[in-house]
Amino acid sequence: MNCLGVEQFPDYKVPGVQHVDFSPYESNGGSIVAIAGEDFVVIAADTRLSSGYSIHSRDQSKLFKMSPKTVLGSTGCWCDTLSLTGLVKVRMQMYEHTHMKTMSTDAVAQMLSIVMYNRRFFPYYVSNILAGLDKDGKGAVYSYDPIGHCERATYRAGGTAGALLQPVLDNQIGYKNQNLPADQLPPLTKERAVAVASDTFISAAERDIYTGDSVLINIITKDGVEERKLQLRKD
Amino acid sequence: MMNNSFAQPMWSNGPSPGQFYNFMGGNAPTQLPRELTTAGPFGTKHSTAAITTGSSVVGIKFDGGVLVAADTLVSYGSLARYQDIQRVFKINNNILLGGSGDFADIQSIKRNIDQKMIEDQCYNDGVIMKPGELASWLTRVLYNRRSRMNPLYIDVVVGGVDETGKPFLGNVDMRGRAYNDYVVATGFGRHLALPLVRERKPKDRDFTFEEATNLIRESMKVLYYRDTRSIPQYTVGICTAADCSIKGPFKVEENWTFAETVKGY
Amino acid sequence: MSTIGTGYDLSASQFSPDGRVFQIDYASKAVEKSGTVIGIRGKDCVVLAVEEIVVDKLYEVDAARRIFTIEKNIGMAIAGLMADGNFVADIARQEAANFRQQFERTIPLKHLCDRVAGYIHAYTLYSAVRPFGLSVIFASWDETDGPQLYKIEPSGTSFGYYACASGKAKQQAKTEMEKYKFADMSTDELVQSGGKIIYQVNDEVNNKDFRFEMGIVGRETNGVHFINHASWSQLAIEAGKAAKTADGDNEI
Repeated sequence: MNCLGVEQFPDYKVPGVQHVDFSPYESNGGSIVAIAGEDFVVIAADTRLSSGYSIHSRDQSKLFKMSPKTVLGSTGCWCDTLSLTGLVKVRMQMYEHTHMKTMSTDAVAQMLSIVMYNRRFFPYYVSNILAGLDKDGKGAVYSYDPIGHCERATYRAGGTAGALLQPVLDNQIGYKNQNLPADQLPPLTKERAVAVASDTFISAAERDIYTGDSVLINIITKDGVEERKLQLRKD
Repeated sequence: MMNNSFAQPMWSNGPSPGQFYNFMGGNAPTQLPRELTTAGPFGTKHSTAAITTGSSVVGIKFDGGVLVAADTLVSYGSLARYQDIQRVFKINNNILLGGSGDFADIQSIKRNIDQKMIEDQCYNDGVIMKPGELASWLTRVLYNRRSRMNPLYIDVVVGGVDETGKPFLGNVDMRGRAYNDYVVATGFGRHLALPLVRERKPKDRDFTFEEATNLIRESMKVLYYRDTRSIPQYTVGICTAADCSIKGPFKVEENWTFAETVKGY
Repeated sequence: MSTIGTGYDLSASQFSPDGRVFQIDYASKAVEKSGTVIGIRGKDCVVLAVEEIVVDKLYEVDAARRIFTIEKNIGMAIAGLMADGNFVADIARQEAANFRQQFERTIPLKHLCDRVAGYIHAYTLYSAVRPFGLSVIFASWDETDGPQLYKIEPSGTSFGYYACASGKAKQQAKTEMEKYKFADMSTDELVQSGGKIIYQVNDEVNNKDFRFEMGIVGRETNGVHFINHASWSQLAIEAGKAAKTADGDNEI
């Protein structure tokens, strides 16, 4: 089996060389939160790029503007993120050339699922959340697992602190386990969505070492994408 | 000429008597190069580990360009095998490349890049490659190799300026993971040089050339003191709109007098 | 050419009874129709110069360039069919790239010339192909071999030269070149001579409208081949124009 491996040639053994089993994957960390409203959607991602205990960059955006109405947030194995977003951008351009129109958020969502499932047996190791306005101008959030399972939601958290953030959103956006009558629940405004998203990141940065530095927030409305930035703790 | 056993056969896919000739662009069967084929049914074992390795590369961006530095050591395991090998290369008038990891893989990818530069020159259209383009190309090559489970064991720093003179500094690793920043480092430099440089970064502006050179000098010194696979000699590549060249080798200013006071190990 | 083909000119794979391969002769005709091209070798520099006849003013100024860069330090100029030239330039580049891949150095010009000549010759052997309507001139300079100049004919024969010419005014150019001592010339002198010769042999009656093109490689270019290098080209053109007016004065 290992007919060409260095271990077959003891005379040539190199002292001190580490023989590692190559792993094509690496977790580069990062978290995403997306919250859909009636006529807007907010998507936020932190800007820390790390592996293990070292931080490569403190200012790496993980939000990819796919069209004026669609933003993709992608974390996980950064090289897979780069390849996947690159491929999706190419295919969106092909769509634009053949159909003479920009892909709708729903179409991008479906395509992303297919592109990811194409690598079913060697998956893109990524946690994707797609946010945008749908055909009716309503806010839409789609979340994925690494092999392309796609689900539409109104709010979702993903990435290394996804499990930490999702219950917070359940409570604050989904009003789960809140024993208040429906008419007393505060309505989901744009500002409230941004505030909740910001707060979740501040909390995540406290507990998740892969989330921090700063958070980029994209607010998508029919008028375009507004970008905001919030500093997080940098340790 | 015919006695030259190294020469390629004159006719590969050329006309031969009594046969139809496949002109170029026809569908002559092509086979993927061996290194690009995927694992076979009987198991294909690819690269096991890096053998001859280069340690850290440090790159710093300043207001008019970039600096890329690396020591001149190529190790063979723990043996300081080749002590005067440049690991920072000038690719063209816009690009510097600093290589760490398996040195054979660095040389191999460098050959590919050099050939691309000659092609650039042959086109004679005045268009030459920019650092961002090279970094992007590297991500594709490295990502494809890792996806075939046959990676190039390298971690490279790409620096330079684009056509407007705007500095570029990025890092691409063996999996194709890439990012740009005002400071990048590979190997031990990631642990030692990065925090050192980040600490000195003014919030509101870029580094000046002066500050950047001082930080490189400082980083290479710290790396020499703390990285066992390093030597006190390094080269620095400087790329600005006006100039792109490799300077050095420089010596690290060593001072071991403190060693006597170190106790308790 | 002694006789018209009489049936022996239909294939490159057949001799005529008097020992010719007419297809090669015809290919040479294609070369003779082309604008003049010269290559001259100085002390530590080689210059390729081309009289690019403007057949149509609607072409862009850089259309149909007849000088190519093959390697860092290797230039190639052609007389003859433009399309064949592009193809052979590509073949030469592949040869050079292949050599570099194997030996990690630039291909010696003699070796490149042998390879390309062999390739061109092979196109004179088969009935399925036609020879290249090309005369190819290679020029290079490097520290070890110094200036080098080679020319390949449509037949695939190749020689090294001190100075060579092809195309329309080949004979005139050769006569002119014999008057010079190129081997001792500095870069500037060589460039000026190149300009002079091309401008002098230009046929003012039929091809007055032409573009001067120049390839240069030598010590002063740091061993890099340049096509239409701004300052050197200007030097050549000025020298050429000056020589032309001086010539005209003499004739009157």
